[in-house]
Amino acid sequence: MTWLSSLLPVAHALVARKDLPVPAWLFAWGASIVLIVSFFALSVGWRRPRFERDHWRPLDARLSRALLSLPAQVVYGLVGIFLLGVAIYAGLRGTEAPDRNFALTFLYVTAWLGFPAFSVVLGDVFRPFNPWRAVGRAAGSAFTALAGQRPAHLRYPERLGRWPAAVGLLAVVWLEIVYGASGGVAVGLDPHAAAVAAAVYSVYTLAMMALFGVEQWCRTGEVFSVYFGMFGRLGCFGTQDGRLGVRRPFAAATSWATVPGSAAVVIASIATTSFDGAQEGAFKSALESTFNHLVDAGFGLTAALRTTDTIFILLTFAGVALVYLIGVRGMSGVPRAPSFEKLRSGFAHTLIPIAFAYLVAHYFSLFVFQEQAQFTYLLSDPLGTGTTDLFGTASSGIDFQVIGSNAIWYVQVGALVLGHVLGLTLAHDRATAYWGDYRLATRSQYWMLAVMVAFTCFGLYLLSVANS
Amino acid sequence: MNSNTVRAAIGAVVVIVAVVLLIVLGGSNSDSAGNTTKGVTTITIKHGKPVGGIAQLTYNEGEQVRFKVDSDVSDEVHMHGYDIMKDVKAGGSVSFDFPATIEGVFEAELEGRKEQILELTVNP
Repeated sequence: MTWLSSLLPVAHALVARKDLPVPAWLFAWGASIVLIVSFFALSVGWRRPRFERDHWRPLDARLSRALLSLPAQVVYGLVGIFLLGVAIYAGLRGTEAPDRNFALTFLYVTAWLGFPAFSVVLGDVFRPFNPWRAVGRAAGSAFTALAGQRPAHLRYPERLGRWPAAVGLLAVVWLEIVYGASGGVAVGLDPHAAAVAAAVYSVYTLAMMALFGVEQWCRTGEVFSVYFGMFGRLGCFGTQDGRLGVRRPFAAATSWATVPGSAAVVIASIATTSFDGAQEGAFKSALESTFNHLVDAGFGLTAALRTTDTIFILLTFAGVALVYLIGVRGMSGVPRAPSFEKLRSGFAHTLIPIAFAYLVAHYFSLFVFQEQAQFTYLLSDPLGTGTTDLFGTASSGIDFQVIGSNAIWYVQVGALVLGHVLGLTLAHDRATAYWGDYRLATRSQYWMLAVMVAFTCFGLYLLSVANS
Repeated sequence: MNSNTVRAAIGAVVVIVAVVLLIVLGGSNSDSAGNTTKGVTTITIKHGKPVGGIAQLTYNEGEQVRFKVDSDVSDEVHMHGYDIMKDVKAGGSVSFDFPATIEGVFEAELEGRKEQILELTVNP
C-alpha cells in the first residue's frame, strides 16, 4: 500500500514555501552548546531567588491614565471587535482559496503568532483588544444600568482551573492542522470553516462569560486570554490596581501557574507545535503506517488522516506531559522537597520560554513571509475576489528572498538555545525559593535540567529532520 | 555521593554525549549534501495524478531548474514560491526553465485539481 503514502497531503493551506531542514553541523553545535550551558548553569552559585517578586513600579500617572482611560479601553475593544468581524465576514463571503482570504492568515498567523511575539516583550497586549471581553463588559455595564444591580454569576469550580483553556488550545490547533488536512488533495482548512468556528467560539465564550463572569472566564477558560496571557507573563509591562507599570522581565511568570490546569496549557502548547513540526519529518513514517492501516480497515481517506493525526496529537501531549512529570517526580525525591502537587504546578512556568522557543523555531519564517501577504494583498482585497483594491496593494506578492535559509536556521536554533537558558534560569530560581538551601536546590535541578535538555534537543531534532 | 562526584559524572556524560553527537551527525553530513538534480526531468500526469508519486527535484541556489510536465488532463501548473503558472492541455506538455533564486522547499501543483505533482528543494 505504498501508493497511499503519496496521498498524505501537505498540511498547511497557506504555505507556499517550507523551511529547509537545519543542517547536521548546526544541529550538533546547537545541541552541544545546550549541554555545555546546562552544565555551566549547575555550577553557578545561584543562592537567592531573584524572580519571586516582580518589582512592579508604576509608570508616569498621566501616561497611565491616558492609556487606561475608559474611552481608550472602548477604542481598543472596538478595534478587536472590528478585526474579528472582518475575519468572520471574509471567511464567510470571500474566496475559498485559503491563501487569498483575509480570514485564515489573520486568525492563524497574524493573531495566533503575533500576540505571543508581542506579549513576551511587552506583557499581556491581547487583554485590551480581546473582542469577547469587550462585548462581555459592555453587556455587563448595560445590565447593571438597566437592572440597577450587578449581574450575578455562578461560582467557577476551582478545581476545573485552566483545563477548559488547555482543551480549547488543543482544539484551535486541531482545527487548523488536523481538521483542515484531508486525504487525497493538498488543501488545508478552508476560510469558511475557520469563520464558522470563530463564530461558534464567540457564542460559546459569551455564554461562559455570562455564566461565570467576564474576568473569571478570561483568567481560566477563554483560550486566547489564557494562552496569550501566559506569554505576556514574560513581558515587562503590567497593570496593578488600574495603573500601568513596568516590572522585572520574566518575573511575573513565577505566579502564573498557581491556578490548577496551568501546566496542561503550557504542555499543550509545546505538544501541538511539536506535532506540527514532526508530522512531515520525525513522525512521517509512523503517521503513514497508521494511516495505511486505517485505510485498509475501511476508513475513508479523510477520516483515516484525521483519526491518525488526532491520535498522534494526543500521544504527543501525553509524551510531553510524561517527560515533565518524570522531572517533577525526580525532584520530589530530593530531601526536604515540597509535595508532588506543589512541585508540579510550581515549575510549570519554567516551560513557558520553551513553548515560545518552539513557536519561533517552527513558525518564524511562516510569520515573516505571510505577514507580507497580510499587509499587502490581504489588506487591499480581504475577500480575495480580485475586484477590490482598497489600498492599491492588491497585486503585490510575497518576497521569499527577504530572508535567506541561513538566517532562518540561526533564528531557529538561537531561539531554542535562548529558551532553554531562560527555562533553566526560572527553574533554578524557583528551586532556590522552595529549598532555601542552595545545595539541595541544585540537586533537585538535575531533574529539571534533564527535562529541559530533552525538550531542547527534541526541538532541534525536529528542525533537522523537517521535510526530509 | 557528594556533589563534586555528581558534577564530575555529569560533566563526563555531557562530554561523551556531545562527542557522540558530533561524530554521528558529522558522519551523516557528507552523504546528504551535493545530490542535486541534473538535466530535464519529465513529470507524467495520468488521470490527473503524477505517475510514481510526487516528483522530487533538488538544486543549489543559482542553478537552472528544468522540468517538463506531460499531462493527460487539461489544467494549470502552478510553481509555488516562484509563482510561475503555465496552462497545459489534455495530451499536451509544458516546460519550465527558470533559475533557482529562492531558497526553501516549494511545491508545484495542478491548480484546478489541487494535486501536488512536484516538491522542489533549493539549497543555499
